[in-house]
Amino acid sequence: MTYFKRFLIVFICGIVQIFYAAYLLLNLFGYNIDWHISNHDLFMFIPGILVFVGSGILCASYYLGDRKKNNILYDEYTALRYYKIAAIGYVLNGIGIFILFSVQDWANWSFQNANNMIYQIAAFAWLTFGILLTIFSLGDYKEYKNG
Amino acid sequence: MGKHHQNLLNNLEDLRKKAGLTQQELSEAAEVSRKSINAIENGIYVPSTVLSLKIAQTLKCNVEDLFKLP
Repeated sequence: MTYFKRFLIVFICGIVQIFYAAYLLLNLFGYNIDWHISNHDLFMFIPGILVFVGSGILCASYYLGDRKKNNILYDEYTALRYYKIAAIGYVLNGIGIFILFSVQDWANWSFQNANNMIYQIAAFAWLTFGILLTIFSLGDYKEYKNG
Repeated sequence: MGKHHQNLLNNLEDLRKKAGLTQQELSEAAEVSRKSINAIENGIYVPSTVLSLKIAQTLKCNVEDLFKLP
């Protein structure tokens, strides 16, 4: 594993999550997009498959790969970068959930609305996950360019 | 104090240059990322004991030669 390979894997995963989550959020808020991803289609499995395959490759390279390279790739400063990005994720999720709660129509509350809000929160958390993956991958790209 | 962390003064850049190593070479020898070396040199990051010892071992000096309390 190298910085560039890790960048590619994480960036592709991140961008795909952002695309699907943004699409879902727009749909949930009633914006009509001309084209549709059918939830009966194999298309909907792409983000999940990418995350499983990507994390599988990263896990395999971590446990089975060259130890010296892995010490460099997963050193304590990289861990600190990961924690900082995760902290940004907590903040984004907190703000997002607050906003989602604020925009609900509480006067006409129903199970349908509650169900919809749960979907919105899930889609927003998914979007945040994609953004965090992409930010992390860009750090790897910088390291590949400067290293 | 420009390049020092508020809790730690460091001579890493001087000692690395005296040893004739680039950040990349030192990072590979000490098995850490180049970013770590850069962040320590610029006073952005305070390294752990293990990392400090690894760097000192690579530069063939003591940890006290690399880092000092302000």
